[in-house]
Amino acid sequence: MKHTRFGPYGGVFAPETLMASLEELEDAWRSLWSDLGFRARLSGLLRDYAGRPTALTHAERLSEEFGFELWLKREDLLHTGAHKLNNALGQCLLAQAMGKTRILAETGAGQHGVATATACAKLGLDCVVYMGSVDAQRQRPNVLRMQLMGARVVVVEHGQRTLKDAINEAMRAWVSDPQAHYVLGSALGPHPFPSMVAAFHEVIGQEARAQILEQAGDLPDYAIACVGGGSNAIGLFRAFLEDESVRLVGVEAGGEGIDSGRHAARFAGGSPGVLHGCFTWLLQDDDGQILPTHSVSAGLDYPAVGPEHADLERRQRARYESASDEVALRAFAALSEREGILPALESSHAVGWVMEQAQELQGKRLLVNLSGRGDKDLGTIFALRQEGASDAEVLS
Amino acid sequence: MNNRLHRVTRELRASGRRGLSPYLTAGDGGLDQTLDLLHAVEASGASCCELGVPFSDPIADGPVLQAAADRALAAGTTVNRILAMVARFRDNGGSLPIALMSYWNPLGHRGWPAFCSEAATAGIDALIVPDLPVEEGGEVMEAAAAAELCPIFFAAPTSSERRIRASAAASRGFLYVVGRTGVTGAGTTFDSSALDFLKGVRALAGDLPLAVGFGIRAAEDVAAATRYADLAIVGTALVERIHRAGAQATQAAEEYLRELVAATTSVSSSPSSD
Ligand SMILES: Cc1ncc(COP(=O)(O)O)c(C=O)c1O
Repeated sequence: MKHTRFGPYGGVFAPETLMASLEELEDAWRSLWSDLGFRARLSGLLRDYAGRPTALTHAERLSEEFGFELWLKREDLLHTGAHKLNNALGQCLLAQAMGKTRILAETGAGQHGVATATACAKLGLDCVVYMGSVDAQRQRPNVLRMQLMGARVVVVEHGQRTLKDAINEAMRAWVSDPQAHYVLGSALGPHPFPSMVAAFHEVIGQEARAQILEQAGDLPDYAIACVGGGSNAIGLFRAFLEDESVRLVGVEAGGEGIDSGRHAARFAGGSPGVLHGCFTWLLQDDDGQILPTHSVSAGLDYPAVGPEHADLERRQRARYESASDEVALRAFAALSEREGILPALESSHAVGWVMEQAQELQGKRLLVNLSGRGDKDLGTIFALRQEGASDAEVLS
Repeated sequence: MNNRLHRVTRELRASGRRGLSPYLTAGDGGLDQTLDLLHAVEASGASCCELGVPFSDPIADGPVLQAAADRALAAGTTVNRILAMVARFRDNGGSLPIALMSYWNPLGHRGWPAFCSEAATAGIDALIVPDLPVEEGGEVMEAAAAAELCPIFFAAPTSSERRIRASAAASRGFLYVVGRTGVTGAGTTFDSSALDFLKGVRALAGDLPLAVGFGIRAAEDVAAATRYADLAIVGTALVERIHRAGAQATQAAEEYLRELVAATTSVSSSPSSD
């Protein structure tokens, strides 16, 4: 295999049983990504089925309130409600071209699971999705959506019962059934996944760059995205890597604060190591055991970051910051009440960070990737607000 | 190479005798029990032992070995404590070759050269890392060679001939042959296609000893596996037995292993002749 690394990060740390599947995938991926027919089919589906291009919206009321110029790339408007469909459609189309009939996937927030179930329904493929029981509960609407589209949802009861454990189980399922295709849902895992997933999401940044040039008349000063595994962020960042004036900021989950230890901020609290097939930044203890993570958003609640981000950080081309649960919840409320957009809790971290940094960002043009919509999070939001209300009663 | 595993597996290969390689999860039941178990493995007549370092996220393991790793971690097992226990085993006169088996992260995160030299000093002979394919193995091979440890890579039923040759060329001591696709735990039937696969690996691996694992539970599995492989690996079935035996773990393990050792198919002529 070639070009498996981003600087020192990435690689193919996979069990031998999967190496043949990874080699086959890399071959198919390289030949189809340069095949005009395949590319035309994919862009046709993205346009006529998924609803690309997605809009770029000037968030006028928030801009006025905070003293910056905020633009939102509206991946929440994509079919199924998040950027995840770009990758799921791409990989399922690829799997079909490879003659695969069975699809495996993991999901945290449920958006990647829904996107994969959707692509499988559209293309006529069998679909099994692994999801931690904690996530299946907090993102329940997405479990129902997957089931309605004919996917089998396997609830994982091991470990922390979140995204990491769902990936463990999906990888085990793939080791047992290497003829299936595993649709990994973020820009992580063994090569070729990080490169391939990023390539399927590049369309986000390509559209956004052209749109902001047209609508605002210039490039943004900052391009900002939340970072779970890092797929929506890399999809945005790649289009701006050569634009030296554009600062790139990835926002990780600060949870209850970095000092609390209850977070998923890999760059602030982690160190390099190997998890799920690649060498990258991880939350781990001194003995190399993976640490538990916490975030109010299921999609950011994961102990490793995609290897391309690890390299962008090393090269100081992008910087990685974090936003706490509380900051994200404030951003959710602000976007809902003042822009009429219910954002996903994941995306709320990116918006929350710019609200927190309003001083530094005065007068700047900001492009934020609004990676998904928040319908899936209503249960969490209302539960937290009720808790907050009863705490307030106790205090008064 | 002055290495216990290298010596023992060479002797097997030269004599045509076959052996058993039991797997233990270090720290399951406490490290004192693991120390007793190492002595029991040696007393049973097994040829070597694979000592699993528990990891929080074992993607190649089934439910039994996942649960064993969870118990071991909950009991406070760490790499350093495991190495200290192995050093005690050597101080007690234990000469059984020991391969440390774990994922990249718990072994490699502090740097392979330092780790390999610490492991060798403690009395470890080999490293088996299921999420380390040959293409990522350069650093580990170099560090292992400097510390006179055997690096052990894998061959799976999905591996191409090119991959099997490369894994064999990179391995010392033995090549770990995964008997079937899948995670550890479920049974493997040594039917004709499984045996053909073993025969194929034998032909591609030069004179490197082979150890076949995944799903070996009973005497007849050991007999079938050792028709073409020098060693049969027993993991999940042993770990399960030890856990169920509670206070009788050491005795139960030794009896079970004696039975499996007796089932190895020793051949005097070349194994490929039948
Ligand atoms: C809406 C949304 N945004 C972001 C993420 C985080 O993933 P990534 O970092 O790969 O974009 C998720 C993951 O589930 C998501 O659903």
